[in-house]
Amino acid sequence: MLTEVASSLFRKPSTYQYPFVKSKVPEGARGRQVFHPERCINCGLCARDCPAGAIEMVDVSGKKMPLIHLESCIFCYVCVENCPRNALTESTFYELASAEKESLLLRPTETEESAKTTGGC
Amino acid sequence: MIIDAYFFFRILVFPGFLFVFSFTLFCDWFERKAIARMQNRMGPSYAGPFGILQPLADCIKLMTKEDIIPENAERFVLSLAPILSFSLLMLSILYFPLDGVNAFSNSGFEGDLLLVLALVTFANFMLFLLGWSSSNPYSGIGAVRILTQFVGYDIPLTILALGPAFMAGSLSLAKIASAQKVPFALAIPWVFVFFLIALQAELEEDPFDTPHAETEIVAGYGTELTGRKLAFVRLSKDLQVVFGAALTADLFLGGPYGPIAFGLGSFVIWFVLKVLFVIFLLVFVKAICARLRIDQIVRVNWRLMIPLSLISLALTAIYVPFAKFELGGLRVEKG
Amino acid sequence: MIPKEEEIRDLISGRLGVGVLEHKIPEPRRLYVLVKAGFHRDAISILLERFASTTISTITGIDLGEDIELNYHLWCGKAEVTVKTRLPKTKPQVETVTDIMPGAALYEREVFELLGVRFLGHPDLRRLLLPDSWPEGQYPLRNDWNPELFNIDSVSVEDLQIDADGNSTVNVVIGPQHPALHEPERFIFKLDGEVVVDVEPRLGYAHRGIEKGAEQLMFFQATHMIERICGICNVAHATCFCQAVESIGKIEIPPRAKYLRTIVHELNRIHSHLLLLGVAGMEIGFETLFQYLWRDREVVLDLMEKMTGNRIMAEYSAIGGVRRDFDQVLGEEVKKGLAAIKKRIDFYKNLLNNDPTFGLRTRGVGVLKAPAALKLSVVGPVARGSGIKMDVRKHDPYAAYDEIPFEEVAYEEGDSWARFMVRLDEVAQSVDIITYAIEKLPSGPYRTRVPRRMPEGESLGRVEAPRGELVHYVKSNGTAYPQRVKIRSPTLANIISFREMIRGCYIADIPTVLISLDPCFSCTDRMTFVDLNDGRKWFWSMEDIKKRRFEKR
Repeated sequence: MLTEVASSLFRKPSTYQYPFVKSKVPEGARGRQVFHPERCINCGLCARDCPAGAIEMVDVSGKKMPLIHLESCIFCYVCVENCPRNALTESTFYELASAEKESLLLRPTETEESAKTTGGC
Repeated sequence: MIIDAYFFFRILVFPGFLFVFSFTLFCDWFERKAIARMQNRMGPSYAGPFGILQPLADCIKLMTKEDIIPENAERFVLSLAPILSFSLLMLSILYFPLDGVNAFSNSGFEGDLLLVLALVTFANFMLFLLGWSSSNPYSGIGAVRILTQFVGYDIPLTILALGPAFMAGSLSLAKIASAQKVPFALAIPWVFVFFLIALQAELEEDPFDTPHAETEIVAGYGTELTGRKLAFVRLSKDLQVVFGAALTADLFLGGPYGPIAFGLGSFVIWFVLKVLFVIFLLVFVKAICARLRIDQIVRVNWRLMIPLSLISLALTAIYVPFAKFELGGLRVEKG
Repeated sequence: MIPKEEEIRDLISGRLGVGVLEHKIPEPRRLYVLVKAGFHRDAISILLERFASTTISTITGIDLGEDIELNYHLWCGKAEVTVKTRLPKTKPQVETVTDIMPGAALYEREVFELLGVRFLGHPDLRRLLLPDSWPEGQYPLRNDWNPELFNIDSVSVEDLQIDADGNSTVNVVIGPQHPALHEPERFIFKLDGEVVVDVEPRLGYAHRGIEKGAEQLMFFQATHMIERICGICNVAHATCFCQAVESIGKIEIPPRAKYLRTIVHELNRIHSHLLLLGVAGMEIGFETLFQYLWRDREVVLDLMEKMTGNRIMAEYSAIGGVRRDFDQVLGEEVKKGLAAIKKRIDFYKNLLNNDPTFGLRTRGVGVLKAPAALKLSVVGPVARGSGIKMDVRKHDPYAAYDEIPFEEVAYEEGDSWARFMVRLDEVAQSVDIITYAIEKLPSGPYRTRVPRRMPEGESLGRVEAPRGELVHYVKSNGTAYPQRVKIRSPTLANIISFREMIRGCYIADIPTVLISLDPCFSCTDRMTFVDLNDGRKWFWSMEDIKKRRFEKR
């Protein structure tokens, strides 16, 4: 133990100084979902199967599309798995903390690009 | 001792109150950074360059927090004890010859070693009163533990502190410091090692951490402290560490005297360096040990430390004449 | 070779004769025996006579409408025997078994408070999980109970009922908030100076209503809820539940899925043990050990994230297999990470064996000898630290454990030091198991699709969670929703031994002994949800919560 403690003095600390230094997130990490409205067939399976009841089907120009409440979402990806047309896909975006509840919604009308960047404070 | 503006400058600014206060905050930062690096993490980093202003930030923050006193507690004692312990410790540090002479512009008097040790005992007793008057079972247990520990370990500490006194033939801090041609840590190493162990117990650092053992009795005697009281108690704890290190530096490492004198301020700089060295040693021991139980600590004290300190004092007494002969040129003053 | 289950069935039928109403053996090492009212004590005594190392896993109560069925799940070394008996709802009382099996004390209390069954002769029939001031006559697990029946005004914030003894003992309360506890529980210690004379644990502070909640979700959705019982042993809960449901539905999962489940399970075990040893370091004041161990634990968390998508909550097992595949590149990364951990394990073993201050704090502290451990039915590293070889992976293999060779670790001393060493050695074993599993990974599919609706039936899943034997009992009535889910987590079995261990120890030993049990109270309390707030009382139904979720603050 003595030598370990003494040598630690000369080693670089193993602290990641987040948010100045961000660690690399592996590819399969479960972050926020991405919705592709052009593929959606309005079946409602995602809302029915969500274990947390976080998906609400809302009206978008006459058709029903999913609105995901990210504050209830447990990121289990059952919706991603069960969607028959792959309209919900995964991403590794995880910095979702926010001071307003409105930004914690994944709206069906957002484009893919803006979906990747919104959701921070 | 002439009481004039220079006197007040020495007491209040340098090497008095302000200097000791900022030095304490610096030592707190040093301790935290050292133990953080030993545990392979960063320690204070963001308040000021290298986090050096972190202890000051903590102090200021605590001063602004709400001060809550439990209903059944003794208000007067609870409010007085932190201030008293802080002041007593600050007073006792002023007796050290930080600058070659102590803050009162003289070289102290015969017996100021014992005065300083007595003042520190009072300061520790204030912490016991703090725990006892808090009307909280955790504080009560912590108060009993601190009394057991510091009263117990005060005995070997005082006995061992007499070792250098024997070697220097004097009970004055300044004279002991100046008598060290060769630091006593090298001349009487057995006394030095035991003194460090007794000091670790006095300062309540691991492995003698029980009085404020966090995971057993919340915060021991400090459980009911908030706001300004907590700030003062934390400052007292840090002051106590500085006091202990300064005592060790004075008694065993030669105080403000170093091999190279480089003009103005060299005394202070040497003293500061030695204090930091002792703090580093204590922090190293803290990092490699777990916390002992109170009964184990008491056993170590009465069965191990006291006999060993008596034996080492006896050895030192026998060794003094040889030391004068062997190490040649110990400046010893009689009377 | 007659399988043990049949031997036991014949033994019980032979001795009890007409007392046995039905029996069945749906799968290897599982026997269900339905006995007439009043014969359950005889059945258990017969088992105890024949197999000295019988332990009780749990007691499940099910509301079957007109009757209440009590299932006594016992592990007798070779097979899990469930002794069932039915009581009429109008007169729900039955004799206790605590005189022959003291380990059943807490389970009987649980059934008493949640289903209203009186156990005659129980030494201390009080509430276990619900608050003391819960109104009489309301039994949450009965089918006719729903939260609307509950009158919030009848519940008051519980006041601590500590009786003052005439002698010099002092009662010190530790919890529900205390730095030594990582989840809220309340322990009332009776102290004489610094020596502990007695302790009374009070559970139920992390009660969340998962058993009743799981009845409202479909099987595949319930997996996600069950996984969140405990963050640290989540893979064990998911695996156990999926196994139980797969055995009800007679679903055979592909061999690749079995190996992959094993890999994640063992990774989870390494993570849990390293976490616990770090916490142990912190409890005894050895902060440096804590920081080092938690730094080394990060390697495992990164591997879990690469493999399952999340650092802690794996959500990897599903009914029918696993949800993601595993390729060779990932396999190499896992092996590299594990090799680094193995080197560190040697350092920690050296440290725990030789460090003087660690030894002073843990050796000889909180001793539980083997006979007491067996009577109290402790499980996991607590049992193995006292010399009892009880590992579900060895004796009742599941997933791929029957094909992977490994050693069962046991130490004889029975003190806290032994329990910590068991966990450290288990980490080394887990590293070997994962390496073997990666090398011998069979190819093929990793998941079979299963229907949502499960046939009627019941099943008992048993896995070795990091803390010990975890039991999930699932009963299905032919719909897509489970009829009853009963979970007995290992900490509930071990908490009863805390009293035995701590008598005669000092206050300073309390955190050490408590942590050596590895208490995970999130696993332990999971029943109906009551929200209390002192002074102000309000009540949110599920509808209220859903409404609040979607509106602006």
